[in-house]
Amino acid sequence: MTKSNIKKIIAVIIPLIIFLLPPSFFPIENLSIVEKRVIGIFFLAAFFWVLEPIPIYATSVLIIVLELLLISDKSFVLFMQGSDAANFGTLMSYREIMATFASPIIMLFLGGFFLALSATKYRLDQNLARVLLKPFGEKPKMVMMGLMVITAGFSMFMSNTATTAMMLSILAPVLAVFNPGDKGKTAFALCVPVAANIGGIATPIGTPPNAIALKYLADTGTISFGQWMSFGFPFVLVLLLFSWVLLSALFPIETPKIKLAIKGKFLKTQKAYIVYATFAVTIFLWLFDFLHGMNAYIVALIPVAVFSATGIINKEDLKNLSWDVLWLVSGGIALGNALDKSGLAKNVVANIPFEAFPALALIVFTATLGLLMANFMSNTATANLLLPIIAALGTTMTSLEDFGGGKMLILCLTFSVSLGMALPISTPPNALAHATGQIQTNQMSKVGVIVGITGVLLTFVMLYVLKMVQFI
Amino acid sequence: MSRINIICVDDQRDVLTTVSRDLQPLNNHIDIEECESADETLELIEDLDSEGKHIAVIISDHVMPGKSGVELLKEINEDNRFVNTKKVLLTGLATHQDTITAINQAGIDRYLEKPWHAEELLNNVKELLTAYIMESGLNYEKYMDVLDQPTLLNHLRKRH
Repeated sequence: MTKSNIKKIIAVIIPLIIFLLPPSFFPIENLSIVEKRVIGIFFLAAFFWVLEPIPIYATSVLIIVLELLLISDKSFVLFMQGSDAANFGTLMSYREIMATFASPIIMLFLGGFFLALSATKYRLDQNLARVLLKPFGEKPKMVMMGLMVITAGFSMFMSNTATTAMMLSILAPVLAVFNPGDKGKTAFALCVPVAANIGGIATPIGTPPNAIALKYLADTGTISFGQWMSFGFPFVLVLLLFSWVLLSALFPIETPKIKLAIKGKFLKTQKAYIVYATFAVTIFLWLFDFLHGMNAYIVALIPVAVFSATGIINKEDLKNLSWDVLWLVSGGIALGNALDKSGLAKNVVANIPFEAFPALALIVFTATLGLLMANFMSNTATANLLLPIIAALGTTMTSLEDFGGGKMLILCLTFSVSLGMALPISTPPNALAHATGQIQTNQMSKVGVIVGITGVLLTFVMLYVLKMVQFI
Repeated sequence: MSRINIICVDDQRDVLTTVSRDLQPLNNHIDIEECESADETLELIEDLDSEGKHIAVIISDHVMPGKSGVELLKEINEDNRFVNTKKVLLTGLATHQDTITAINQAGIDRYLEKPWHAEELLNNVKELLTAYIMESGLNYEKYMDVLDQPTLLNHLRKRH
C-alpha cells in the first residue's frame, strides 16, 4: 500500500468512526445530533488538511458539500429524520452555507487578485521594482535591503507566491555570477521568501489568514483596513529590519558590487493609466474608509468592476485567478459557521475548564500551536482550523479580558500562523526559494526558526502596546 | 497517482539507451519510455492515455524505417488529446523541407541536433516538462526538484 493510500484511509476512517458514535460517547453534556455531525466534519477537515490526501482546496469544497448534505435545512432525507426531537439541534440554512463561496471575505480577496493580476499584466510590478531598487545602489547589503523592502511591499497586495516568483526571477541572473564559495548567495536567495512571508502580515489582503481573521474579528468589533495596517505595517517593518540584520550576519556577502538589471519601461497606454489610477484609488479608499464610509469589502469590488468593464482583465485572465485560494478560504468560513451556529464551539469551550489555565499561558500556547502547525502545513488551512475555536475561546474566557480579550487572541494566532517559515514545505515562497538550489534546508530552518520566534515575541509586544492604547 | 511519461523514439537501440541515461536525473518522478518506431510510439501513447497517464514530452528521431519522426510528431500535434504534450525533434539528418514541416505542421517545441550534449538535452527537457506540468494544472510542488526554475517562476508570476 502506498503512503498516499494510507493517508487517505486514515483521513476517512477516523472522521467516519466519530460520525457513527452515539452522542453520549462524547464528554460534552447535551451534545445534539447536529453538533456531533459537526464534530465529524471538523475532524475530517483536520485530518485532510494535515495529511493532505487531496489538495487543500478540495477539502474545503468537501466541507461545504458535507455541510449541505448533513446539517442543512435541505439535507438528505435520512439525515433529517427526528429533526423535531429535543436533542437534534439546529440545522443551518442551505443558503447560508452556499453563500460562503461569495462571502465578503472572498470578495475582498477577489478585489486583491484583480489588482495583482492587472499590475502583472501591465508590468506595473516589474517597473515599480526597477524604479524602487535604484535608490538602494549597488552595495550588496543595501541591494538586499531593497529587495526585501520591495518584496515585502508587493506581498502586502499581491500573493506571496507571485511576488516571490517575480523577485526570484529578477534575482536569478545575479545569483548565477556569484563566486561559488560566497555565502552571500544564500543570503540573497533567502531574503526573498522571508520578506514575502513577513510582508503578507501587513494588510488584510496580504495573506488569506488575515482575511479569515477579519471574519472572526467582525464578531468582537471590526478592524478596518487602515486600522489593520496601523499595527501590521510597523510590525512588518521591525521584523523585516531584524531579518535583514540576521541574514547579513549569518551569511556575509563577499561580492563587492551587485547590479540588478530589470528591463522595461512604464507602459503609457490608456489602459495602463487606468490600472495605475485604479490601484492608487483603491488603496486610498481602503486606507481612508472613515472619510467615505465604504468598508474594505465594498471597495474591493471597485477594481473588479473597472478592470472587467475596460477589458483590462479579460476572459482569459479570469482563468489565471487563484480560485483554489478563494475556495480554500470559503471552506474555512463554512467550517467556522458550522462550529458557531450549531453551538458546538461554545459548548466545547464551556465543557473544558479553560478558566483554570492562566490567561498568559493560554496566549503563549495559542501562538506556539499556530506557529508549529503553520510550519508543517498550509498557513491558511491552519487558520481555518484554529481560528473558530480560538475565537469561541476568546469570547468566553473572562480572564483574557485583562490582556485584550478575544480580539487579542485572534490577532495573536493570525500573526503566529504567518510566521511559520522554517521548512521548504512551510510556505510556497520557501519552496520556490529552496528550489533555486542556493539554500540548504538547515540554513532555511535556522533563519526560519529565529525569525519565527522573534516574530511571535514581537507579536506579544505589539499586542501589549495595542492594549495599552486601548485599541483591543 | 497518474504518472508523467517522457517517450524517446529512435530506431537505433544505442541512441535510446544514451537518451535515457541522459534523462536519468528525472527518473524519480518521471517514467521514461523507449520506442523503436513511430507505430510503436502511437500504440504506446494510446495505451498510456487510456490508463490516464500523462505524456509530457516526446523526443523523436527523424529518419526511421516506416513512418518518419516528423510525420509522427505531426500526427500527435493534430490529436486534441495531446495538446499540451511537448515535441522534440532530435536528429542529424533532417532536410530543409523536413525542418519546415516540423516547425509549421508538427509544431515542434525544440529542434536538437545529433550529436547532442547530455546537459543541453536534459535542460531542454526540463523546460518542456515544467511547461507541461504548469499548463496541465498538475501539482507542481511534487515535482519541484526536476523542474526548470525560470520556466516555473514565469508561470507562477502570472497566477494571482
